[in-house]
Amino acid sequence: MSKRIFVLMSALVVAVAAGQTSKSAAVPKTPWGDPDLQGPWTSDDTWGVPFERPANFGTRAFLTEDELKAREKQVEASKQRIEHPSDDQHSPAKRQLDALNSGTPAPEPAPGGRGGGRGASVDAAPVPGQFGEYARRASKQTSQVVDPPNGRIPELTAEGKERQAAMRGRGRGGGSPDSWEQWSIYDRCITRGVAGSIIPVIYGNGLEIVQAPGYVAIRYEMVHDTRIIPLDGRAHLSKDVHTYMGDPVGHFEGNTLVVETTNLNDKMGVGANGGGLPYSEDTILTERFTRMPGNVINYELTVNDPKTYTAPWKVAFPITQEPGYKVFEYACHEGNMSLRNALLANRAEKEKAAEAAGK
Amino acid sequence: MQNRVSLALLPALITLFTIAAFGQTAPSPRPATRVNGKPNMTGLWQALGTADWDIQDHASQAGPFYQLGAIGAEPPGQSIVDGNEIPYLPEALAQKKKNYANRYQEDPVIKCYMPGVPRATYVPFPFEIIQSQKDILIAYEFASTNRVINMGKPEEAVTDTWMGTSNGRWEGDTLVVDVTGFNGMAWFDRAGNFASDSLQVVERYSMLDANTLKYEATITDPKTFSRPWKISLPLYRHREEHARLLEFKCVEYVEQLIYGPLLYQPGKKK
Repeated sequence: MSKRIFVLMSALVVAVAAGQTSKSAAVPKTPWGDPDLQGPWTSDDTWGVPFERPANFGTRAFLTEDELKAREKQVEASKQRIEHPSDDQHSPAKRQLDALNSGTPAPEPAPGGRGGGRGASVDAAPVPGQFGEYARRASKQTSQVVDPPNGRIPELTAEGKERQAAMRGRGRGGGSPDSWEQWSIYDRCITRGVAGSIIPVIYGNGLEIVQAPGYVAIRYEMVHDTRIIPLDGRAHLSKDVHTYMGDPVGHFEGNTLVVETTNLNDKMGVGANGGGLPYSEDTILTERFTRMPGNVINYELTVNDPKTYTAPWKVAFPITQEPGYKVFEYACHEGNMSLRNALLANRAEKEKAAEAAGK
Repeated sequence: MQNRVSLALLPALITLFTIAAFGQTAPSPRPATRVNGKPNMTGLWQALGTADWDIQDHASQAGPFYQLGAIGAEPPGQSIVDGNEIPYLPEALAQKKKNYANRYQEDPVIKCYMPGVPRATYVPFPFEIIQSQKDILIAYEFASTNRVINMGKPEEAVTDTWMGTSNGRWEGDTLVVDVTGFNGMAWFDRAGNFASDSLQVVERYSMLDANTLKYEATITDPKTFSRPWKISLPLYRHREEHARLLEFKCVEYVEQLIYGPLLYQPGKKK
């Protein structure tokens, strides 16, 4: 063995050892040696952070000290509204309760807050107070989209633009829909998709990670999807299979779980509750879950869909473990009275109109 | 001297080099039969047989849609109920008979509702067990149903649910899961066997061999049954290479059934 190779290998040994100790010491490990990502997590802390960056921030990814103080105040106010709704004359919950008691119609909720239906804006909405989720600490991020550097979704391809134009005017919008098919996949309790299951919304931002040797499983509370992520290096499913949640395969890089999802169908978008412009069947979603010291996972989602977007783009935010936070059964479809009532209301309106027309 | 040291280090260096080069991407080894001192139940499992049609002994019969011919017929099967008898209280027995008569309308699974426990175990779809060093996840293919078995300090159900609240413990090599907090809306099978919201299911999972689980469940519900009763059936591991849980989101397949009758039909009086 030549001296040169020995030196080279020694350097490598040092690099490997240093890499492993500096990264591994601070984060928990499973008994079989994988980084331990287990437990209930929530993306609540990013609730209220705009999805795309408002133009005035330019390429500035983080708030200034003053801006952060302002957001801290908002976060505290949300918390107060939710924890003590009856104390706050201005909370939506209080207004709705008052409206019910007085028999006057309740005020309209903020637009875009719920549903994230097809074509709905993916910008964050003001927090209605009645659902009980809020950021526990103020995020410094100016947007959830972190790449490209302006925090905006890249320009659409020609095909993407066509699809977006075709989508406009569909969806719930105004009026009452004639059929369930005009409602979003989320409203129908089918799924929120890979991105929509973790992007924070007004409630139900919980997920739970359970690991076994060779596997990581993620179950999301709202609409109860579970993703089983094999770590054995297997190939993806064939092109004959396209599904809402796609086919995930994963591996660990240091303290980071990397998940690549393909075989997606073309019905979901990367936005709140799976809204936004649906991506194509060729999409590759790459997620990185990096276990940090303390109760934080840094989450990143890279969207690679050359059919829809002129460049890949990335969403990133932390998810956290909070005391007492648990994931519950969310029997969405089983209890979907909202869709049933809307369809019945639509029928009643139409019947009334037909009666008035003397038919 | 220096040469001797470096030669002695060679195997270790090669090992480290190999780990550095391939460690990140090398496939995991085959699942161990035991993990953390317990039998390793992680994997994709499925019941064989026809318990989902009827957990009691049943002969074959024609299905509800003659157009489907042989593929729509009910297959025969033997009981998974110990002794075949379900000790219904008189009123509950009458309800069971009613359920049976209306089974093709009223079985909640027709509507893609969660099957409950124990039925989720033997609907004709696979399920995946992910067994960590602590809690255990069961993800069922049917309707994307799932539950996590709490292996820590037992927790009382905070609310009634379709799948109940699962508290587990190891009794030797047997996983024992106490499930309570049911909403009483799930059935045991397509034949209308049912329980109330005071149902308690105590499940026992044990390995018969590396690829077969023995599943037993003791059913207690004083509002419906005069005594506890038991079911048992084997569960088989999917051994196809790279077998995985696929997506069966049945909501889309039942919307016409559930919501169709609610739509406005011109010319039709309410």
